[in-house]
Amino acid sequence: MDDVQLKELWNSYERQIEASRILNMQSWVLNMKCFEELQKQKAGARLNRLITIKTVAVVLGIIWVLLLGFLVVHSLVLSKIFFVISLSMIMLFTTIAIVIYIKHIVLIRQINNSESIVETQERLATLQLSTINVTRILFLQAPFYCTWFISPEWLRNDWQSVVFITLPIALLFTLASLWLFRNIRYENKDKRWFKILFNSPEWTYVLKAQEFINDIEEFRREA
Amino acid sequence: MDNHPDKEAFLQLIETNKGIIFKICNTYCTNAHDREDLAQEIIYQLWRSSGTFDPAYRFSTWMYRVALNVAISFYRKVKASHEKIELTEELPLIAENTNTEKEENIHLLQQFISELKELDRALMILYLDGRSYSEIAEVLGITETNVATKTSRIKEKLKQKFASHQ
Repeated sequence: MDDVQLKELWNSYERQIEASRILNMQSWVLNMKCFEELQKQKAGARLNRLITIKTVAVVLGIIWVLLLGFLVVHSLVLSKIFFVISLSMIMLFTTIAIVIYIKHIVLIRQINNSESIVETQERLATLQLSTINVTRILFLQAPFYCTWFISPEWLRNDWQSVVFITLPIALLFTLASLWLFRNIRYENKDKRWFKILFNSPEWTYVLKAQEFINDIEEFRREA
Repeated sequence: MDNHPDKEAFLQLIETNKGIIFKICNTYCTNAHDREDLAQEIIYQLWRSSGTFDPAYRFSTWMYRVALNVAISFYRKVKASHEKIELTEELPLIAENTNTEKEENIHLLQQFISELKELDRALMILYLDGRSYSEIAEVLGITETNVATKTSRIKEKLKQKFASHQ
């Protein structure tokens, strides 16, 4: 089969698509005539939906940080040192996640479908992939949920329970969160623990972004 | 958006070039519902991006860019969600009645193109639609040399696949 035959086949295919009315022409025409309505319907288009999800996360995150900040400011005494340090660390990691999410929202708004395919798709895939970095960072705050309730007074009166119960648990969480921070990577996507943690279509989509970035690089490469 | 072109003129341009949307939807979607959804999303994004169209360039070049970008993003999203629920519906074969050799070849061409990766698929749509290498390069964002090399390789693959089905 030569080039001319291939193109001829493609043209026949095009004629068949039109003839078979594989797309609902009626709804097509309706949509063509009602752009305002269509805009409303599509207000929740994919990227807008992504912006909405991230905006909600940012707002909730800010509320959470403000609440923690309020508690920290009103607990600045030596007797609440563990409480203040733990909450401050949780605030720090949450703030980092908020900043990354705000950066995502700005990037999503900058995405322009009328730019070249390679450029737009690479930007989108990179954005999707960076979601995993936020998750890695958020795991780092886990140990501090095990230490906020320790107090110097408790240490003085019942140091055994702190040393033999609370601290080992905190240490375990520290090791686990550091391990997750290091190992939540695309390269481990086929590991059992990874599949258990990230078992949803949304995460599959995020992980596929790395494969797609590799495809884009290969596509861009001159032979 | 304030810088939208005249609505009627825009509709007319879309109507004239609707074949592009048909082919792209049919190439990237495996079921009727997704096709409808993608077609609507493409029209919406075309309208939304209409302010970015520079009349100094061809409308079709701009339209391919927007439509292919939307289609590839849509396809990746749908593919990821369908992987979890086992696809039961296969290609929306136009040429279901494969009695004649031509019908069968159209069916095969459709199947072979659907087996290509997302970006290769975009390249082949543009090539088979008769776009020049420079226009394809402009739409995809790669060099003309690269377009020529890749097109030649993919065509070779398609020809081999056709040959193996003879």
